Amino acid sequence: MGAEQAWLLAAIPAGFFLLLSFFGRPMPRGGDYFGVISIGTSFVLFFFVLADFLDTPGKVGPIVNSIEWSNIGDFHLRMGIYIDPITITMFGVVTTVALMVNIFSIGYMKGEPRYYWFFAVLQMFAASMLMLVMADNLLLVYISWELVGVCSFLLIGFYWEKRSATEAAKKAFITTRVGDVGLLIGIILLFKATGTFNIQEIIHAAEAGEIGQAYLFIAVMAIFLGCMGKSAQVPFHVWLPDAMEGPTPVSALIHAATMVVAGVYLTARLLPVFAVADGALLVVTIVGLTTALLTGFMALAQTDIKKVLAYSTVGQLGFMFVALGAGNPSVAMFHLATHAFFKALLFLGSGSVIHATHHNQEMDKLGGLWKKMPITGTTFFVGSLALAGVIPFAGFWSKDEIFVALNEAWGGWAVLLLGLAAVMTAFYTTRLFIRTFMGKPKDEHVYEHTHESGFVMTGPLIFLGILAAVSGFVVFHGVGKAIGFPGGITEFIFLEHHGPHRYEMDWGFAAGSIGMATVGIWAAAWMYWGNSTRRSTVLAEWSPGLYDMLQKKFYFDELYQAAIDRGVLGFSYVVAWFDRYVVNDTGVDGSAQATGFAGGVLKYLQTGRVPNYAMAIALGVAGLAVAGLVVRG
Amino acid sequence: MTFDEGQGYVVLATMAVPLVAAFLLVLVPGTQKMWVRYISAVTGAIVCGLSIYIFAAYQVDGSHTQMTLRWVWVENTAFLGKDGVTLYLAVDGISSTMALLTGVVAFAGAIASWKIEYRNKDFYILYWTLLAGVFGTFFSYDLFFFFFFYELAVMPLYLLIGVWGSTRKEYGAAKLTLMLVGGSVLIWIGVFATFHEANLGTFDLPKLWAAGQDGTLSPTFQKTFFPMMVIGCGVLAALWPFHTWSPDGHMSAPTAVSMVHAGVLMKLGAFGIIRLGIQLMPEGAAFWMPGLMVLGVIGAVYGATAALTQRDMKLISGYSSVSHMGYVLMGLATMNQIGVTGAVLQMFSHGVMTALVFLMIGAIYDQAHTRDMKDFGGVTRVMPLWVIFYTIAGLANVGLPGFSGFTAEFHIFVGTFKTYPVFGGMAIFAAALAAGYMLRLFAIVFFGPMSPRWSDLKDLTALERLSGGMLIASIVMMGVWWAPFTDRISSAVTLLPGVTS
Repeated sequence: MGAEQAWLLAAIPAGFFLLLSFFGRPMPRGGDYFGVISIGTSFVLFFFVLADFLDTPGKVGPIVNSIEWSNIGDFHLRMGIYIDPITITMFGVVTTVALMVNIFSIGYMKGEPRYYWFFAVLQMFAASMLMLVMADNLLLVYISWELVGVCSFLLIGFYWEKRSATEAAKKAFITTRVGDVGLLIGIILLFKATGTFNIQEIIHAAEAGEIGQAYLFIAVMAIFLGCMGKSAQVPFHVWLPDAMEGPTPVSALIHAATMVVAGVYLTARLLPVFAVADGALLVVTIVGLTTALLTGFMALAQTDIKKVLAYSTVGQLGFMFVALGAGNPSVAMFHLATHAFFKALLFLGSGSVIHATHHNQEMDKLGGLWKKMPITGTTFFVGSLALAGVIPFAGFWSKDEIFVALNEAWGGWAVLLLGLAAVMTAFYTTRLFIRTFMGKPKDEHVYEHTHESGFVMTGPLIFLGILAAVSGFVVFHGVGKAIGFPGGITEFIFLEHHGPHRYEMDWGFAAGSIGMATVGIWAAAWMYWGNSTRRSTVLAEWSPGLYDMLQKKFYFDELYQAAIDRGVLGFSYVVAWFDRYVVNDTGVDGSAQATGFAGGVLKYLQTGRVPNYAMAIALGVAGLAVAGLVVRG
Repeated sequence: MTFDEGQGYVVLATMAVPLVAAFLLVLVPGTQKMWVRYISAVTGAIVCGLSIYIFAAYQVDGSHTQMTLRWVWVENTAFLGKDGVTLYLAVDGISSTMALLTGVVAFAGAIASWKIEYRNKDFYILYWTLLAGVFGTFFSYDLFFFFFFYELAVMPLYLLIGVWGSTRKEYGAAKLTLMLVGGSVLIWIGVFATFHEANLGTFDLPKLWAAGQDGTLSPTFQKTFFPMMVIGCGVLAALWPFHTWSPDGHMSAPTAVSMVHAGVLMKLGAFGIIRLGIQLMPEGAAFWMPGLMVLGVIGAVYGATAALTQRDMKLISGYSSVSHMGYVLMGLATMNQIGVTGAVLQMFSHGVMTALVFLMIGAIYDQAHTRDMKDFGGVTRVMPLWVIFYTIAGLANVGLPGFSGFTAEFHIFVGTFKTYPVFGGMAIFAAALAAGYMLRLFAIVFFGPMSPRWSDLKDLTALERLSGGMLIASIVMMGVWWAPFTDRISSAVTLLPGVTS
């Protein structure tokens, strides 16, 4: 199979979605094996696409394949695929994580209601995501983008009997939808300027200076709004922590590894256009930095395992946007890949804990689980090290690259701010690990009933654990070459006119990175090691107000709720009132009543009684006589 | 007889079969309720089949009008010249699409009304008369018959709502009929003014259109009468601020009437704007279209906003219809190929999608006797299929890709941005509001804990599944593979006077 047929990667899971949603219910075990077969096939095909791509002469020549979709006059719409290193990387990430999540779910979701439906939607999700990353035009990107969103809606609201799950699903859909307003506006603005939806043609037009600066900036910012919504960047971040209401494998797949990186992907894909628009990259950097910092603070005081991981996801997405803002898509994609592996691992690990403790995800009730759950504990440990950025785990290398790129692009102040975010990452990761897996159990009852999960769940953990440990090494020239990439991932993906850039270890930054990780880990260990209540509450005692603000996540949710209730819904009540009482009752019914009233008055003109008419004639004659006298006289 | 004439008889049959059915039903005793149902179901199937044929057999590369049939009705009298009044039926790309819509919705509505017990004979007589009028309007190339069929389609509504309706039905029926008749008066004046001004002694529409383009209808005349035609037709298309019959009318109407009304009848208004506005008075259109654009935008945003806080499910759909018809008017007002094509796509999309929504509301209202959202919750547990169908309709309403609403709205947005980027942005924002009111409904009605009060609700019947299934097939087809629609529609739209590429 050649890379031209890469559309099969999406078509196969889409087909299995239809199969499972129509016929999954009566199948034995809800057809969960079809889920594994479906994604497994895509996973295998990924390697064929990769091999074919690397064999293509010129090594980085993109592969395109498109068909005519519709015609209106001289508006020709083509739909097709565009395979380049960015797409290939996303293929790898999405199929790997999705396969692991599918396998893990067989164990985790066992006995849940609507089991078949869960697997069906997972297939649809994978299909839409794969479609999104290979689309050659922005319209197809938008279509897949929305389909990904609706799959997310269905999966977050999977436990629809729970009000909170339904509310979270609604919140996620509407919040991202607000961003999508921008996305669609941006896409149409670019179409208006260039007459095409094709991404490459738009990039060429932008680079050739065919689009005015101010116009391009507005269009790019509109698209970036959509990216911020999907990737949960401040101020759109509020939906992601709530999305943890979904089953945990979904959190791993959608809200950590794949869907939320759609915004990062699209920004990377359009980065040449961003680069042309003055100031756009600065905005991207500022949004990324703000998000990384704010969510770092928010994660400090959370007690729900999944919430901590959710905030860390938002923060890490901020890191990726910082890399993009520095104009370096290869680094962003590299961090995206390593993050996908270790974050999927952490979420699946937390899923294993939740499953083992009968749906307990509060750190205050856990503790000491490493002994009970050795495989989960060990793999979680590896994932935490990767997230905290400890050398030589995957996260270290990609984070280090981001600092280098950031320093080149924007200089010291940005590096310092991002460094603070990195320290907090190390801190809350350590806190999470210690409070869940180390020390004494805080709730004996929960602890007693805990047991290690089965192989169908630990297998994926081990696989992802290995990836989290070693996947960072592909940056090295030799390693990259050995596994088929000419010169590691940073040379595999690069912004065309920047040229490939070979990875070199910058020991100054590496030392800084190691230092930041150490500070964060040490601080967390000092506070939480050994269940010392005195130390662990040091922040809460030092400033209760600040601690409360962190726990309440800077009141973003309250602010938005008020804005919706007072603003949007208030306006809606006004409009509805206006429609009822002004337009309808006054305008429509009013004219009916006026007609009736006029009829009631005017009917006296035609009473049918002779005396009335005689009177009118007499009065008329008299009136005419008077008028005549006046005129003459 | 040429092949095209032969097909002309198909067009005639599509319009005549409902009329024949109505006459046939007159002969059936009112006590034979099953006979009435069988006749109606068969009629629906035939009409649906014929309309699918018209859509499929329309040749995209062929001439502008196809399947022509002309019967001279009256000519060479005191004031009528040659071809004075002809029964001139034909289809172009737009009306073939509208025919498909009408056929599908008519069949779906006919079988959805199966459970009507009270005087179902009379119900179906009026129902099929109405549909004959709808088909006739879409097919007529003669101004006289255009108006005749237009009125034939509107009049039965009064009885259909007043007799078989619910919730303040007399008020809803009277208001709806009076407002629509008010619109008709404006059209009626326009029709005679045009006949007089053109002074050709004929109601033949192609000849009048030619007169509109070559200046026989003076620019001043066109600018004067274009607003009358557009407002007259616009009332039926829920043109803001003449839309208030829509929420109340839908709230009162029985299920099938809501389906046909929102699904098809409102499209007659937009279709009239194309035929009697854009085609007949291009100068007037060029002058007034910015105004229609403004009213369309107001309708789109206003309807979506008002829908956000409604509690009656039918009112939500009533206001969302105002919003979606606002998109149609916007698309028409763009006067460029993509936008106008999008408007016709939206006419089809809104038709099938709203018909499905009203079918679903009817399915639950017949059992629960309430449509207040706050009464429900967790309905998924007892009516899973109902929820799936409603969700599909709702997501199409929201403009989710893969369903018809996206295809249509997307074309409208692109068309609008070409000339009115700010209005385009507002329209996209209104689409986000749609997500707000639909998801609110999903969350309240479908999900959450279920009240035991609803534990014995029944899921969709076989007939409702068939009816809804057809509508869903149409929704998905336009959402995924829209080339057959855009090919047909744009073949007609490119020939409209004043429409730019």
